[in-house]
Amino acid sequence: MFRSALGKTLGFVGYTIQYGCVAHCAFEYIGEFVACSGPSMEPTITSHNVVFSERLSRHLCRIENGDIVIAKSPFDPHMNICKRVIGLEGDKVCTSGPSDVFKTHQYVPKGHVWLEGDNLRNSTDSRSYGPVPYALIRGRVCLKLWPLHHVGALNQSPTGRVVRRSD
Amino acid sequence: MKRCNDVCCVCVGGEMFRSALGKTLGFVGYTIQYGCVAHCAFEYIGEFVACSGPSMEPTITSHDVVFSERLSRHLCRIENGDIVIAKSPFDPHMNICKRVIGLEGDKVCTSGPSDVFKTHQYVPKGHVWLEGDNLRNSTDSRSYGPVPYALIRGRVCLKVRRGTSPDPSHIHFNL
Repeated sequence: MFRSALGKTLGFVGYTIQYGCVAHCAFEYIGEFVACSGPSMEPTITSHNVVFSERLSRHLCRIENGDIVIAKSPFDPHMNICKRVIGLEGDKVCTSGPSDVFKTHQYVPKGHVWLEGDNLRNSTDSRSYGPVPYALIRGRVCLKLWPLHHVGALNQSPTGRVVRRSD
Repeated sequence: MKRCNDVCCVCVGGEMFRSALGKTLGFVGYTIQYGCVAHCAFEYIGEFVACSGPSMEPTITSHDVVFSERLSRHLCRIENGDIVIAKSPFDPHMNICKRVIGLEGDKVCTSGPSDVFKTHQYVPKGHVWLEGDNLRNSTDSRSYGPVPYALIRGRVCLKVRRGTSPDPSHIHFNL
Protein backbone atom coordinates (compact mmCIF):
# COMPACT_ATOMS: atom_id res chain seq x y z
CA MET A 1 0.00 0.00 0.00
CA PHE A 2 2.86 2.30 0.85
CA ARG A 3 4.51 1.57 -2.48
CA SER A 4 1.31 2.28 -4.40
CA ALA A 5 0.76 5.52 -2.48
CA LEU A 6 4.38 6.52 -3.14
CA GLY A 7 3.98 5.64 -6.81
CA LYS A 8 0.83 7.73 -7.07
CA THR A 9 2.49 10.65 -5.30
CA LEU A 10 5.51 10.51 -7.58
CA GLY A 11 3.23 10.27 -10.60
CA PHE A 12 1.30 13.32 -9.41
CA VAL A 13 4.52 15.25 -8.82
CA GLY A 14 5.78 14.23 -12.26
CA TYR A 15 2.61 15.47 -13.94
CA THR A 16 2.75 18.73 -11.98
CA ILE A 17 6.33 19.34 -13.05
CA GLN A 18 5.53 18.53 -16.68
CA TYR A 19 2.53 20.83 -16.93
CA GLY A 20 4.25 23.51 -14.88
CA CYS A 21 7.09 23.49 -17.40
CA VAL A 22 4.66 23.67 -20.33
CA ALA A 23 2.84 26.61 -18.70
CA HIS A 24 6.15 28.34 -17.98
CA CYS A 25 7.20 28.00 -21.63
CA ALA A 26 3.81 29.31 -22.76
CA PHE A 27 4.30 32.43 -20.59
CA GLU A 28 7.89 32.71 -21.79
CA TYR A 29 7.29 32.46 -25.54
CA ILE A 30 3.67 33.45 -26.13
CA GLY A 31 2.61 36.08 -23.62
CA GLU A 32 1.69 36.89 -20.05
CA PHE A 33 -0.82 38.92 -18.07
CA VAL A 34 0.63 41.91 -16.22
CA ALA A 35 -0.97 44.00 -13.47
CA CYS A 36 0.41 47.51 -13.69
CA SER A 37 0.79 49.96 -10.85
CA GLY A 38 1.95 53.54 -10.79
CA PRO A 39 1.12 56.79 -12.58
CA SER A 40 3.92 56.90 -15.13
CA MET A 41 1.86 55.72 -18.13
CA GLU A 42 -1.29 57.77 -17.56
CA PRO A 43 -3.67 58.25 -19.31
CA THR A 44 -2.91 55.24 -21.50
CA ILE A 45 -2.48 52.79 -18.62
CA THR A 46 -3.55 53.66 -15.07
CA SER A 47 -2.78 51.95 -11.79
CA HIS A 48 -4.38 48.50 -11.31
CA ASN A 49 -4.96 48.01 -15.02
CA VAL A 50 -4.33 44.48 -16.29
CA VAL A 51 -2.70 44.19 -19.70
CA PHE A 52 -1.57 41.34 -21.92
CA SER A 53 2.06 41.46 -22.98
CA GLU A 54 3.07 39.29 -25.93
CA ARG A 55 6.56 37.85 -26.15
CA LEU A 56 6.89 37.08 -29.85
CA SER A 57 7.81 40.63 -30.89
CA ARG A 58 10.66 40.67 -28.42
CA HIS A 59 12.06 37.31 -29.53
CA LEU A 60 11.73 38.18 -33.21
CA CYS A 61 13.14 41.69 -32.63
CA ARG A 62 9.98 43.35 -33.95
CA ILE A 63 9.73 46.03 -31.25
CA GLU A 64 9.11 49.40 -32.91
CA ASN A 65 8.92 53.05 -31.93
CA GLY A 66 5.67 53.82 -30.18
CA ASP A 67 5.26 50.31 -28.72
CA ILE A 68 4.57 50.00 -25.02
CA VAL A 69 6.92 47.43 -23.52
CA ILE A 70 7.38 45.63 -20.23
CA ALA A 71 11.08 45.52 -19.32
CA LYS A 72 13.18 44.50 -16.33
CA SER A 73 14.19 47.52 -14.33
CA PRO A 74 17.87 48.42 -14.81
CA PHE A 75 18.03 49.30 -11.13
CA ASP A 76 16.24 46.37 -9.56
CA PRO A 77 16.37 42.94 -11.23
CA HIS A 78 13.18 41.87 -9.42
CA MET A 79 11.06 44.80 -10.62
CA ASN A 80 9.53 45.38 -14.02
CA ILE A 81 8.82 48.69 -15.69
CA CYS A 82 6.18 49.56 -18.27
CA LYS A 83 7.15 52.36 -20.66
CA ARG A 84 6.81 53.41 -24.27
CA VAL A 85 9.65 53.02 -26.77
CA ILE A 86 10.57 56.49 -27.98
CA GLY A 87 13.73 55.63 -29.90
CA LEU A 88 15.54 52.53 -31.17
CA GLU A 89 19.29 52.08 -31.65
CA GLY A 90 20.72 54.82 -33.83
CA ASP A 91 17.78 57.21 -33.36
CA LYS A 92 18.34 60.78 -32.20
CA VAL A 93 16.23 61.51 -29.11
CA CYS A 94 15.58 64.85 -27.47
CA THR A 95 16.87 64.76 -23.90
CA SER A 96 15.88 68.26 -22.85
CA GLY A 97 12.53 69.14 -21.33
CA PRO A 98 9.84 71.14 -23.15
CA SER A 99 10.59 74.18 -21.01
CA ASP A 100 14.34 74.23 -21.62
CA VAL A 101 15.70 76.97 -23.82
CA PHE A 102 18.52 74.94 -25.34
CA LYS A 103 17.50 71.61 -26.86
CA THR A 104 19.91 68.76 -26.25
CA HIS A 105 19.93 65.50 -28.18
CA GLN A 106 21.48 62.10 -27.79
CA TYR A 107 21.89 59.14 -30.10
CA VAL A 108 20.60 55.83 -28.77
CA PRO A 109 23.57 53.39 -28.71
CA LYS A 110 23.58 50.02 -30.46
CA GLY A 111 21.54 47.36 -28.70
CA HIS A 112 19.65 49.89 -26.55
CA VAL A 113 16.25 51.59 -26.59
CA TRP A 114 15.01 54.90 -25.19
CA LEU A 115 11.98 54.49 -22.94
CA GLU A 116 9.66 57.20 -21.65
CA GLY A 117 6.39 57.09 -19.76
CA ASP A 118 3.32 58.76 -21.25
CA ASN A 119 2.92 60.85 -18.08
CA LEU A 120 6.07 62.89 -18.61
CA ARG A 121 5.70 64.89 -15.41
CA ASN A 122 5.55 61.80 -13.20
CA SER A 123 7.74 59.18 -14.80
CA THR A 124 11.26 57.97 -14.07
CA ASP A 125 12.55 56.72 -17.36
CA SER A 126 15.42 57.04 -19.82
CA ARG A 127 15.44 60.81 -19.26
CA SER A 128 16.91 60.05 -15.83
CA TYR A 129 18.68 56.70 -16.21
CA GLY A 130 19.67 56.75 -19.85
CA PRO A 131 19.06 54.23 -22.62
CA VAL A 132 18.05 50.71 -21.61
CA PRO A 133 19.63 47.56 -23.15
CA TYR A 134 17.22 45.84 -25.57
CA ALA A 135 17.90 42.53 -23.79
CA LEU A 136 16.03 43.80 -20.72
CA ILE A 137 12.76 44.04 -22.65
CA ARG A 138 10.36 41.23 -21.72
CA GLY A 139 7.41 41.81 -24.04
CA ARG A 140 5.17 44.22 -25.92
CA VAL A 141 1.86 45.31 -24.40
CA CYS A 142 -0.82 44.71 -27.00
CA LEU A 143 -4.15 44.54 -25.14
CA LYS A 144 -5.72 46.11 -22.09
CA LEU A 145 -7.94 43.61 -20.27
CA TRP A 146 -9.05 45.39 -17.08
CA PRO A 147 -11.06 47.50 -16.35
CA LEU A 148 -13.68 45.85 -18.52
CA HIS A 149 -15.05 49.08 -19.95
CA HIS A 150 -11.62 49.88 -21.40
CA VAL A 151 -10.82 46.49 -22.94
CA GLY A 152 -9.01 46.74 -26.25
CA ALA A 153 -5.90 48.01 -27.96
CA LEU A 154 -3.88 50.83 -26.45
CA ASN A 155 -3.72 54.39 -27.68
CA GLN A 156 -0.90 56.09 -29.50
CA SER A 157 1.53 58.20 -27.57
CA PRO A 158 -0.09 61.39 -26.24
CA THR A 159 3.26 63.13 -25.83
CA GLY A 160 4.37 63.41 -29.45
CA ARG A 161 7.91 62.49 -28.51
CA VAL A 162 8.14 59.21 -30.45
CA VAL A 163 10.92 59.40 -33.04
CA ARG A 164 9.54 59.22 -36.57
CA ARG A 165 11.60 56.86 -38.66
CA SER A 166 12.00 57.67 -42.32
CA ASP A 167 12.55 54.05 -43.42
CA MET B 1 -20.60 -7.39 -53.03
CA LYS B 2 -18.25 -5.06 -54.89
CA ARG B 3 -19.89 -2.00 -53.36
CA CYS B 4 -19.55 -3.51 -49.90
CA ASN B 5 -15.84 -4.04 -50.50
CA ASP B 6 -15.47 -0.46 -51.68
CA VAL B 7 -17.25 0.87 -48.62
CA CYS B 8 -15.11 -1.32 -46.38
CA CYS B 9 -11.93 -0.05 -48.06
CA VAL B 10 -13.03 3.53 -47.41
CA CYS B 11 -13.83 2.70 -43.78
CA VAL B 12 -10.50 1.00 -43.20
CA GLY B 13 -8.63 3.83 -44.99
CA GLY B 14 -10.40 6.43 -42.84
CA GLU B 15 -9.57 4.56 -39.66
CA MET B 16 -5.92 4.19 -40.63
CA PHE B 17 -5.70 7.91 -41.34
CA ARG B 18 -7.31 8.76 -37.99
CA SER B 19 -4.98 6.44 -36.07
CA ALA B 20 -1.94 7.81 -37.89
CA LEU B 21 -3.12 11.35 -37.14
CA GLY B 22 -3.69 10.41 -33.52
CA LYS B 23 -0.21 8.93 -33.23
CA THR B 24 1.35 11.98 -34.88
CA LEU B 25 -0.46 14.34 -32.55
CA GLY B 26 0.51 12.20 -29.58
CA PHE B 27 4.15 12.30 -30.70
CA VAL B 28 4.02 16.07 -31.18
CA GLY B 29 2.41 16.44 -27.77
CA TYR B 30 5.14 14.41 -26.08
CA THR B 31 7.84 16.36 -27.92
CA ILE B 32 6.37 19.67 -26.77
CA GLN B 33 6.05 18.43 -23.19
CA TYR B 34 9.61 17.14 -22.90
CA GLY B 35 10.97 20.11 -24.84
CA CYS B 36 9.37 22.41 -22.26
CA VAL B 37 10.77 20.35 -19.37
CA ALA B 38 14.25 20.49 -20.93
CA HIS B 39 13.92 24.24 -21.50
CA CYS B 40 12.99 24.79 -17.85
CA ALA B 41 15.92 22.61 -16.75
CA PHE B 42 18.33 24.81 -18.76
CA GLU B 43 16.56 27.92 -17.49
CA TYR B 44 16.60 27.13 -13.77
CA ILE B 45 19.41 24.63 -13.22
CA GLY B 46 22.24 25.31 -15.66
CA GLU B 47 23.52 25.10 -19.18
CA PHE B 48 26.69 24.23 -21.09
CA VAL B 49 28.36 27.16 -22.81
CA ALA B 50 31.06 27.06 -25.52
CA CYS B 51 33.25 30.11 -25.09
CA SER B 52 35.15 31.89 -27.83
CA GLY B 53 37.51 34.83 -27.73
CA PRO B 54 40.63 35.83 -25.80
CA SER B 55 39.14 38.13 -23.18
CA MET B 56 39.20 35.63 -20.31
CA GLU B 57 42.66 34.11 -20.88
CA PRO B 58 44.31 32.35 -19.18
CA THR B 59 41.33 31.27 -17.08
CA ILE B 60 39.12 30.38 -20.03
CA THR B 61 40.54 30.02 -23.53
CA SER B 62 38.75 29.96 -26.86
CA HIS B 63 36.73 26.77 -27.55
CA ASP B 64 36.57 25.84 -23.88
CA VAL B 65 33.23 24.45 -22.75
CA VAL B 66 32.00 25.54 -19.34
CA PHE B 67 28.94 24.79 -17.23
CA SER B 68 27.03 27.83 -16.07
CA GLU B 69 24.62 27.34 -13.17
CA ARG B 70 21.48 29.45 -12.95
CA LEU B 71 20.58 29.14 -9.28
CA SER B 72 23.02 31.81 -8.05
CA ARG B 73 21.56 34.33 -10.45
CA HIS B 74 17.95 33.61 -9.48
CA LEU B 75 18.75 33.65 -5.77
CA CYS B 76 20.92 36.79 -6.16
CA ARG B 77 24.02 35.01 -4.83
CA ILE B 78 26.47 36.37 -7.41
CA GLU B 79 29.57 37.65 -5.63
CA ASN B 80 32.75 39.53 -6.44
CA GLY B 81 35.22 37.31 -8.25
CA ASP B 82 32.57 35.10 -9.86
CA ILE B 83 32.77 34.49 -13.58
CA VAL B 84 29.37 35.11 -15.13
CA ILE B 85 27.70 34.63 -18.49
CA ALA B 86 25.59 37.71 -19.34
CA LYS B 87 23.67 39.02 -22.33
CA SER B 88 25.67 41.60 -24.18
CA PRO B 89 24.38 45.15 -23.57
CA PHE B 90 25.11 45.92 -27.23
CA ASP B 91 23.68 42.87 -28.95
CA PRO B 92 20.70 41.03 -27.42
CA HIS B 93 21.60 37.85 -29.33
CA MET B 94 25.19 37.64 -28.04
CA ASN B 95 26.45 36.57 -24.68
CA ILE B 96 29.59 37.71 -22.86
CA CYS B 97 31.70 35.88 -20.31
CA LYS B 98 33.45 38.13 -17.78
CA ARG B 99 34.43 38.28 -14.13
CA VAL B 100 32.48 40.34 -11.59
CA ILE B 101 34.84 42.98 -10.23
CA GLY B 102 32.31 45.07 -8.29
CA LEU B 103 28.71 44.80 -7.10
CA GLU B 104 26.26 47.65 -6.56
CA GLY B 105 27.70 50.27 -4.26
CA ASP B 106 31.32 49.15 -4.70
CA LYS B 107 34.01 51.63 -5.70
CA VAL B 108 35.88 50.43 -8.79
CA CYS B 109 39.03 51.83 -10.32
CA THR B 110 38.34 52.98 -13.85
CA SER B 111 41.82 54.16 -14.80
CA GLY B 112 44.47 51.92 -16.35
CA PRO B 113 47.60 50.75 -14.53
CA SER B 114 49.74 53.14 -16.55
CA ASP B 115 47.65 56.26 -15.85
CA VAL B 116 49.12 58.84 -13.51
CA PHE B 117 45.82 59.99 -12.02
CA LYS B 118 43.62 57.22 -10.63
CA THR B 119 39.92 57.63 -11.29
CA HIS B 120 37.18 55.77 -9.49
CA GLN B 121 33.49 55.16 -9.98
CA TYR B 122 30.74 53.80 -7.78
CA VAL B 123 28.73 50.93 -9.26
CA PRO B 124 25.08 52.08 -9.36
CA LYS B 125 22.22 50.16 -7.77
CA GLY B 126 21.16 47.08 -9.67
CA HIS B 127 24.37 46.96 -11.75
CA VAL B 128 27.66 45.06 -11.71
CA TRP B 129 31.13 45.90 -12.99
CA LEU B 130 32.52 43.24 -15.31
CA GLU B 131 36.09 42.85 -16.53
CA GLY B 132 37.83 40.12 -18.50
CA ASP B 133 40.88 38.40 -17.02
CA ASN B 134 42.90 39.34 -20.11
CA LEU B 135 42.88 43.07 -19.44
CA ARG B 136 44.82 43.96 -22.56
CA ASN B 137 42.36 42.25 -24.90
CA SER B 138 38.94 42.59 -23.35
CA THR B 139 36.03 44.91 -24.05
CA ASP B 140 34.18 45.15 -20.76
CA SER B 141 32.83 47.63 -18.24
CA ARG B 142 35.96 49.74 -18.66
CA SER B 143 34.60 50.67 -22.09
CA TYR B 144 30.83 50.31 -21.82
CA GLY B 145 30.23 51.02 -18.15
CA PRO B 146 28.40 49.01 -15.50
CA VAL B 147 26.05 46.28 -16.69
CA PRO B 148 22.51 45.81 -15.24
CA TYR B 149 22.35 42.77 -12.96
CA ALA B 150 19.25 41.58 -14.84
CA LEU B 151 21.40 40.83 -17.91
CA ILE B 152 23.36 38.15 -16.05
CA ARG B 153 22.34 34.64 -17.13
CA GLY B 154 24.40 32.40 -14.87
CA ARG B 155 27.60 31.79 -12.92
CA VAL B 156 30.36 29.67 -14.44
CA CYS B 157 31.26 26.95 -11.98
CA LEU B 158 32.88 24.13 -14.00
CA LYS B 159 35.22 23.94 -16.96
CA VAL B 160 35.29 20.98 -19.31
CA ARG B 161 38.41 21.57 -21.35
CA ARG B 162 38.30 20.89 -25.07
CA GLY B 163 40.41 21.59 -28.13
CA THR B 164 44.07 20.62 -27.98
CA SER B 165 43.82 18.25 -25.04
CA PRO B 166 42.75 14.72 -26.14
CA ASP B 167 41.98 13.63 -22.56
CA PRO B 168 38.33 14.39 -21.80
CA SER B 169 38.83 14.08 -18.03
CA HIS B 170 40.29 17.57 -17.60
CA ILE B 171 37.50 18.86 -15.42
CA HIS B 172 38.18 21.81 -13.14
CA PHE B 173 36.06 22.83 -10.22
CA ASN B 174 35.63 26.23 -8.64
CA LEU B 175 37.16 28.59 -11.13
